[in-house]
Amino acid sequence: MSWVLVRVDDRLIHGQVVIAWGGRMHPARIWVADDAIAASDWERDLLVSAAPDAEVRVTSIADAAAGWAAEAAASGGAFLLVRDLPAALALREAGATFDRLNLGGLHYAPGKSKVNEYVYLDDRDRACARALAARGVTLEVQDVPAARPQPLTALDPACVP
Amino acid sequence: MSRVPALIVMHADLAEALLRAAATLYGPVEGVEVMSNQGLSRAQLEAEIASRVAGWNGGGLVLTDLWGGSCHTCGASAARGREVIVISGLNLPILLDYLHNRDTSDSTELAERLLRKGQDSIRLQRAPS
Repeated sequence: MSWVLVRVDDRLIHGQVVIAWGGRMHPARIWVADDAIAASDWERDLLVSAAPDAEVRVTSIADAAAGWAAEAAASGGAFLLVRDLPAALALREAGATFDRLNLGGLHYAPGKSKVNEYVYLDDRDRACARALAARGVTLEVQDVPAARPQPLTALDPACVP
Repeated sequence: MSRVPALIVMHADLAEALLRAAATLYGPVEGVEVMSNQGLSRAQLEAEIASRVAGWNGGGLVLTDLWGGSCHTCGASAARGREVIVISGLNLPILLDYLHNRDTSDSTELAERLLRKGQDSIRLQRAPS
């Protein structure tokens, strides 16, 4: 049961995650796999405070991969959040065996081109998306549960491996 | 006492709309900045809020809509190390009370006042039976 959502979202824990996904799926735990935030007590505590209804675990990518199997066997349901596609690929390569990946929010920045209203990718992101797809991961673009999930490969042919 | 500055950060068009609504009750409003989180990553939103509050030397308030939302957590990150207080749950009564009291309180007193004001502003009106 345990992993119910593995999501790429550059806002990490925020309203869509807590209200829309959390309100529908009620996860017992929300993991944030992010090396920079795991290294900052202050940022970690801020994210913990942002989701009062779940146990928030902020870890490095390596520690999230190390804890992957134990969480998969646990009860209660869990979310995992990473900030970008390179982090998602690093997590998969480190041993997290997810086969579906939700793309929630990857906002515009210089050098990134538009996939839809809330997903913008650059060449490195697309290379990571192809690598994930080549490993059997289905990448689905969907900001909130009420929206229809769309395969990334259908929205962006450059992400087809 | 100098005026306590405020920045409103909310989802979609809420901040701008709320300020417009406040102006219909208060009159023309000066010195309140508004912004949306629309289209911004966590890092971009934090940087944008930080740049708006950078000139506040005597403290100020960041007013947000939702505890745990990106407007709020990025406000908290941007406020770190500054005399900036972040308040979630902004509504029209809070904003009006801010406008009426921003020239006569310091930022800490004002924040505590607005917290009470917001909590008191939510009430049930039952029809008489």
